[in-house]
Amino acid sequence: MFVIMVYDINEKRVAKVLKRSRKYLYWVQNSVFEGEISETNFNKLKIELSRIIKDKEDSVIFYTFRTTKYSNRETMGLKKGGDDNIL
Amino acid sequence: MKKSLYVFSEGELKRKDNTLVFETQAGKRYLPVEDTKEIMAFGEVSFNKSLLEFISQKEILIHYFNHFGYYMGTFYPREHLNSGYMILKQAEHYQHPEKRLLIARAFVKGAYRNIRQVLKYYHNRGRELGELISLIENLGQGIEDCQEISQLMALEGHIREHYYHGFDIIINNRDFRFQERTRRPPKNFLNVLISFGNSIIYSMMLSEVYKTHLDPRIGFLHATNFRRFTLNLDVAEIFKPIIIDRLIFSLLDKNMITKDDFEHQVEGLLLKEKGKRVFVEELDRKLETTINIKSLGRNVSYRRLFRLELYKLEKHLMGEKVYEPFVASW
Repeated sequence: MFVIMVYDINEKRVAKVLKRSRKYLYWVQNSVFEGEISETNFNKLKIELSRIIKDKEDSVIFYTFRTTKYSNRETMGLKKGGDDNIL
Repeated sequence: MKKSLYVFSEGELKRKDNTLVFETQAGKRYLPVEDTKEIMAFGEVSFNKSLLEFISQKEILIHYFNHFGYYMGTFYPREHLNSGYMILKQAEHYQHPEKRLLIARAFVKGAYRNIRQVLKYYHNRGRELGELISLIENLGQGIEDCQEISQLMALEGHIREHYYHGFDIIINNRDFRFQERTRRPPKNFLNVLISFGNSIIYSMMLSEVYKTHLDPRIGFLHATNFRRFTLNLDVAEIFKPIIIDRLIFSLLDKNMITKDDFEHQVEGLLLKEKGKRVFVEELDRKLETTINIKSLGRNVSYRRLFRLELYKLEKHLMGEKVYEPFVASW
């Protein structure tokens, strides 16, 4: 499945969340990740993040899609990150 | 599905924060380790032992290619799926002449049928391939009669030779004449592309073998020897026509690769980096496209087909179901 993850985390923990998310998803912008992910890995990511964040202060949102067929991605301005697999 | 990582630029691949980072002069790129299947290193990539440790733990293979794009080798982490049972079964089928012949024949049959399918596709689109198809079909009849591996290999070589003659009719481009199959070094543009594509598909197949209990050292059509992995070569035979050859036709048809993408060197012809990139990008796109497999009742990517083929082989070796090679139906 395809996931878009956005988060708003207290400065104290934001770096931890960033590092954890990099293991599973591609960084696209500050506080935004996206990528193809398996069901299992998605659960793993959620568990790992839930151990880091504080429910009262932080917020993470996941948008999940079964396929990206019906969605369209448009960008303006700078390309900051991405999911290129050819370097 | 996990991604293959292709590295063309110069830089250092590192382990950082339990994931991968590729550092170049231009900056850092983090790559999700959990979404990485294998690494194809074409450029000057440097890495250290801690990366190798990490990669082994994550069961990721690194295939490396030299300056000319030839396959050089693989960093093959300690085997994770160890199965004495499967190795014994594989060896048993290798050593028993009839059993070995049965499997080898299936590989040749698969390759032949896919070759025929490719030719038919272009024949239906107005290329003059009718004669060639009947010639190849005649040869194909002989597969069942082969009683020796050597006969089988000779027959396969024959079929392929005729098939390659069809390339000129399909491609119809003055710059890309086939002439004859040449290797090490390839003597013309077309041969460079075929060799490049084949070596990538061999290494990808090796990555898939790694994910099964099969041992890549014991092939059936290609004789097992002291030098190299052979099972991946066997299985890749089936997919070469429908993946690599078709890719080459479409790249040339769309002028995505032209004669300017090559350069002459002392050692022979060389595909320039831009050409390699285009080739690999399109190959990656092709492998991700999905097709419907009736027997499974779902859509499967071409890349996934590689693994499914190996599972079918495992079933055959365990005596559960006779192996039938994959044949494209279009």
